[in-house]
Amino acid sequence: MDGIKAAGSAAEQWVAQNAGWQAVSFKIQAGKKVRLKRNHLVLILLVAALVLMVWSGVANYRRRKAEQEQLKKMQAVLTPATPTASDSGAAPETEEKSPLEGKPAPAFTLENLQGQKVSLASYKGKAVLVNFMATWCAPCKVETPWLIKLRDQYAPQGFEVLGISTDDLDKDDKKQNAQDKADIAKFVSNMHIDYPVLIDGDSISHPYGGIDALPTSFFVDRSGKVIAAIVGLHDRDELEANIKKALASGGA
Amino acid sequence: MRRIIAAFVAGIFCVGLQCAVSQKFAWQSEKKDEHQQVQFLYPEQVSVTAGKPSVVELHFRVNNGLHINSHTPRAKSLIPTQLMVEEPAGVNVAGVDFPAGTDYSPAFSPNDKLSVYTGEFVLRAHVTAQRGDHLIQAALRYQACDANSCYPPKTAPVAVSIVAK
Repeated sequence: MDGIKAAGSAAEQWVAQNAGWQAVSFKIQAGKKVRLKRNHLVLILLVAALVLMVWSGVANYRRRKAEQEQLKKMQAVLTPATPTASDSGAAPETEEKSPLEGKPAPAFTLENLQGQKVSLASYKGKAVLVNFMATWCAPCKVETPWLIKLRDQYAPQGFEVLGISTDDLDKDDKKQNAQDKADIAKFVSNMHIDYPVLIDGDSISHPYGGIDALPTSFFVDRSGKVIAAIVGLHDRDELEANIKKALASGGA
Repeated sequence: MRRIIAAFVAGIFCVGLQCAVSQKFAWQSEKKDEHQQVQFLYPEQVSVTAGKPSVVELHFRVNNGLHINSHTPRAKSLIPTQLMVEEPAGVNVAGVDFPAGTDYSPAFSPNDKLSVYTGEFVLRAHVTAQRGDHLIQAALRYQACDANSCYPPKTAPVAVSIVAK
């Protein structure tokens, strides 16, 4: 009996111990779960932080690249000019090619200072210099006498200049609108411009790539195709070379 | 495992710190307006004595390589630099002093002398404000040129918070 009792108490002890172990094991599992959850959270946060940093790095890299490009463009525009012997004209050394080059010149119809409608299409068969300018643009004033002379020189061969004024025109106030037009007319008269000057040039600046700087000239050949475009004041020789190119191109 | 995570976290923290010190994050916008050739620099806020005429100096900078016409250009056809001010209730802007322009002869026309602003320039606004916080909003109208080209007239926004005590 004693043996059975002893065996019984040993079994009870084992059960008690085993139950204790089970309790401990449950505690460990519960602790592990909490720790696992915490670890997951930390990992998720780390991954999120990493993604954020990579994204930020990429965005920064792009921004810097864009800034460098912008700087390069600015430097290209601001490259000192090399005046020629003939004139003190300035010309940027490097210039991006206009996307309009080789393409038909965007059609337009604008009013001249006499209120008549003038369209580019009516000059088909002629070489045309479409010259965006403004009365407040000092470099435009420098090239205007050259344009007058070049037009006189090459008109017999079928060349025309169309001055496109980008001066603001008040569209709400009739009196101011008349004054704006009178100011342009005065400029035309003072500069002795004898080629057509069309007004409200801003209305056609978009198809011409957005006229950001003045003067801007597009050389259109006899077939109506843009063969060259220049932004800013370039020397007279360059203007003349492009006029000759336009006259020689697109003929029947 | 804990040590590895701790080391990893420390590493990320260091890299993050380096990023924060050396460069701007993508969400931190540049104050400079890329489309403007003239930037309003400061002040963003000024304190003045309530009811007493005060001078608020507005600092601007013309981008490198450019010049703008002064307030009094020599030719009538040139567009002068002007400041258009919206007066909020309780604020009176009696006038704005513009600096004299400096002489500038463009390379393409060396005999001409233009009156221009380049680099930094300061306008002095004569302001009288009643007690309280006010926001003056203004616009600087200017027309810029570089060595070869001129750019259409633009307006640069100006905003100054006035604290009148």
